[in-house]
Amino acid sequence: MQRTKGQKKNQWKAWLYLLPALALLAVFTVWPIINTIRMSLLKDYSIMAELSGTKFRFGFDNFVKVTRYPSFIKCLGNTMLLTVITVPVSTMLALLIAVALNSIKFLRRIFQTIFFLPYVTNAIAIGMVFMAMFDIIGGGPGIEPSSIGIINTIIKAFGGSPIKWVSTGSTKTANMAVLILYIIWNALPFKILVLLGGLQSVNKQYYEAAKVDGASRFRIFWRITVPLLSPMIAYVVITGFIGGFKEYSSVVGIFGEDMGPAHDPGRLNTMVGFIYENIKGNQGRASAAALILFAIILAVTIINLYVSKKKVHY
Amino acid sequence: MAEPKKPAESVSQETPAAGSLTNMKYKSIDRVSKMQTVGKVFAQIGLYTFLTVMAVVVLFPFYWMLISSLKSFNEYNSMKQTFWPRQIQWNNYAAVFANKDLNLGRLFLNTCIVGIVSTILSLIITVLSAYAFARMEFRGKNFLFGALLATMMIPGELFTVTNFLTVASIRNTYTVLIVPFLVSVFYIYLLRQNFMQIPNELYLAAKVDGTSDLKYLWKVMIPLAAPTLITITILKMMGAWNSYVWPNLVARDTMHTLITVGLRNAQFQIAGTQFVNYPVQMAAVVLVTIPLLLVFIFFRKYIMRGVSRSGIKG
Amino acid sequence: MKKRFGAVVMAGMMACTVATCLSMTGCGSGKKPTFEMPEGGFDTTTPVEITMFHTMGATLTNRLKAQIEAFQQIYPNITVKQENVGNYDSTYDTVSTEILLDDGGPNITYCYGDHVAFYNVGNAVQPLNDFIPGGAYADYKLTLQDGTETTLGMTEEEKNMFIESYWNEGYQFGDGETMYMLPFSKSTEVMYYNKTFFTEHELEPPTTWDEMEDVCEEIKKINSNAFAFGYDSESNWFITMCEQGNTPYTSAEGENYLWDTPENRAFVKRFKEWYDLGYFTTQQLNGNYTSGIFQEQKCYMCIGSSAGAQYQAPAKVDGVYPFEVGIVPIPQLKPERPKVISQGPSVCILKHKDPQEVLASWLFVKFLTTNIDFQAAFSNDSGYMPVLKMDYMQQNAIYKKYLEDAETGGNDYLTGLSVKVCSDQASAYYTSPAFAGSAMARQQVGGMMTKIFGYSGSNIDGTIASAFQEAINMCKYSN
Repeated sequence: MQRTKGQKKNQWKAWLYLLPALALLAVFTVWPIINTIRMSLLKDYSIMAELSGTKFRFGFDNFVKVTRYPSFIKCLGNTMLLTVITVPVSTMLALLIAVALNSIKFLRRIFQTIFFLPYVTNAIAIGMVFMAMFDIIGGGPGIEPSSIGIINTIIKAFGGSPIKWVSTGSTKTANMAVLILYIIWNALPFKILVLLGGLQSVNKQYYEAAKVDGASRFRIFWRITVPLLSPMIAYVVITGFIGGFKEYSSVVGIFGEDMGPAHDPGRLNTMVGFIYENIKGNQGRASAAALILFAIILAVTIINLYVSKKKVHY
Repeated sequence: MAEPKKPAESVSQETPAAGSLTNMKYKSIDRVSKMQTVGKVFAQIGLYTFLTVMAVVVLFPFYWMLISSLKSFNEYNSMKQTFWPRQIQWNNYAAVFANKDLNLGRLFLNTCIVGIVSTILSLIITVLSAYAFARMEFRGKNFLFGALLATMMIPGELFTVTNFLTVASIRNTYTVLIVPFLVSVFYIYLLRQNFMQIPNELYLAAKVDGTSDLKYLWKVMIPLAAPTLITITILKMMGAWNSYVWPNLVARDTMHTLITVGLRNAQFQIAGTQFVNYPVQMAAVVLVTIPLLLVFIFFRKYIMRGVSRSGIKG
Repeated sequence: MKKRFGAVVMAGMMACTVATCLSMTGCGSGKKPTFEMPEGGFDTTTPVEITMFHTMGATLTNRLKAQIEAFQQIYPNITVKQENVGNYDSTYDTVSTEILLDDGGPNITYCYGDHVAFYNVGNAVQPLNDFIPGGAYADYKLTLQDGTETTLGMTEEEKNMFIESYWNEGYQFGDGETMYMLPFSKSTEVMYYNKTFFTEHELEPPTTWDEMEDVCEEIKKINSNAFAFGYDSESNWFITMCEQGNTPYTSAEGENYLWDTPENRAFVKRFKEWYDLGYFTTQQLNGNYTSGIFQEQKCYMCIGSSAGAQYQAPAKVDGVYPFEVGIVPIPQLKPERPKVISQGPSVCILKHKDPQEVLASWLFVKFLTTNIDFQAAFSNDSGYMPVLKMDYMQQNAIYKKYLEDAETGGNDYLTGLSVKVCSDQASAYYTSPAFAGSAMARQQVGGMMTKIFGYSGSNIDGTIASAFQEAINMCKYSN
């Protein structure tokens, strides 16, 4: 009898402890989920129109319309391209660095700290540094620039010719190259940290056995390191994909809210950028885009998990 | 290991395969093992070269940001790029503080207010909820916890559309910057795991002594979970420092602009011209970056710990 | 601990309440199409507070404050709060968010036709027809606190003071009958040129685009490392070219976006060729208003807002101006049929539940726009054109002198000169149709121009075609 009483009292108390969290979650998480689905299913929904009494057609029109919207297609394409390139490249590079770090002792802590530095920086602030490094100052057709920037200076020193990376008149390929470089630079620390942690927990006996067998370093890497690390690799790949599909701040850091070079704003816009662009005027479309983003992330995660289930060696 | 050694030497002893190598030394040194040793040295040189090149690539933006912030505009804006300022220009920093458009002091203040208040409130909410999930029994606990974890799957952008509408009436206030992000399911999860590790006997003993839940939480649990709480504090503060998207959406007036938004939206053009005053801009970037790096230096352990488990930046 | 806990719960509750309020406003804010006069008309004794949003800088804000004081002499019960909310974009942004709230938004706001069209999607703007000659309350009388009687509405006489084309801009919303805004102060585009440079090299400021091409060629011969001209607004440039060439741009009715025609592509291509020759730059391509490079003599002509005259004069070196600035109308395609854009803020009244607020707003708006002295001072400070006819403005002695001085005053009197140049071409003003997507169209054609200019490959025709099409698609799918 007493126990149940105590439990009941405890029940009441537990909910009291949870109240602040649950109240806030109800307003800022649960309600948004419901409302986003609602808005996405009302054709051309906007709160402004709702206020003036407009009735919206119920259905999947927003989803159909958004996929035919040129700006959305562009954002989707950019996001896909960025993710598909940056995730494998940064994972591979991080893996190499982690393995290298794991096979040295001298200066290891210093290297480790250096490689972690990009993590503790502000994506917007350092994006501005990348802009400064690649920017050509002044100039235009028929006008000499006053400075070609440090990267072009280095390119020139190696015998190449300067390229408009980010300035007016630059090509999309050049813009993308800078963006990809920045995203990889930014993504490395987390991946190195996780992979190195994984490497350090790998049983050294595997390596010793392989050494005794006289296996080459390359073979050891592919046959032992990668399989043993596969759970961590799967982890960084999945988080990498999720992060990649939510890319936004890197573009703002380099190009500002224009999301592109001066002559072509919006050129490098991403899915998330698209949602923010529509958040004020067309909430139905923004909601549909957010749900599509969610579906993509969910699908990619499931595929990744499925693949890693087959490939990952625990 | 305290005294420095030549890299190649020290490394050959410390590699994972060191054990097998020592064994071999006792055998007669034949050509094969000699070649292996030589190969090892080359491999080490290769590793260090690779790591050094990568480290330079990672560090270069920081280096460029720093030296650019100390150059005069004319030196920066010239065809001949220098790798060290000809004359160190501290007045770029003075110019940053004098920039009324940027209003750095106000930005620091706003960011600190938002960071501190939201950290304190968030800690309280997190501790209470984690305690309820870790130590209390109530109906539906596991289901509720599972449901909370499931929300972590959903990209935040999905909430943003509705949250923007929810807070539209209180835009440009501190409240709007703080309240929507007070609850983090991830932090609750992190702390709950930590609380679970604290032996139950302590709790039962405290109960026998007649200690109340709150007192037990305050006197025993919190001190024991201090490292996790520190991690949460640092990540939360870094979050305020780095947050851009939400504050940019809801608080753009001078009195409430956060540092990253302020930095990105400030004009650094030389009055009346099209030239961005990169040295001054870089000085501002340095001022925004340095606090983060300092925090990193002092709390390296806590940051890395939190980061490797979250996969989320800030 | 307990206290903090309480605070957290409070915060949560507050957030809940906010959410509930918002969802409730969604159900019905009961806005009616026309104004309903309250019993007893305007109450000149009960205190009422109204807010006005604007983008005025410090000097102009002080002018406004003085005007508010004068207004409160007449209506002591009305408190007018004024707030600078940044630029036109942020005004639009703030207002369109605030009107979502129950009875939210300012009472009076600076606006452009595009903005009003958008606010009206939410049926938020008060039509003014009831208060202007012919309207239901035009002759409605009210008694002031000091006992004198005055008219609530606008008299025929007051209406006639307005420059007609400006007045008519208030009707540009589809039906052509409902008036939603009153002109407040106006500007247009003019061409500033480096008079000293032009005299020195015996050049004449161009009056047509053909002449412009020749002048550019000459200037590039003199200084190949400078632009011949800068054009601040890419959007204005495109729209003005459509008007000058009488080719389609947009329409408020039926098919909205009409600008993809061979003629329009042709003029864009012509300018693209100019751009590649280094003849010009624009605000977007330049990264800032082109007045900057004009002052530095990196370009010798500058087409920009007439209200920006004060920013065109170069900084004095040793107490003297390095060069003198001249102001002329912008180049035309057909000089016999000149066209130049009309811009600058109008004011509109947003609907509010309390009819006293609406009436007070109307009285204040009327007071601002029909007051010759205020219009003169405002123009004097800014270079904006008054919205009242010059015949009336001349009644203000200071203003009369100001315009006379402009003829000979040089760089110190540029705002006056700008006003003069503008008022001389009053018949050339146009405005483009305002509809819910017109702001988007403006933005898109500007972006389309810069995209084409900045293109660095060889497939120019293809790029132009796709940029035109993309701009139209962007607009079409945006609604």
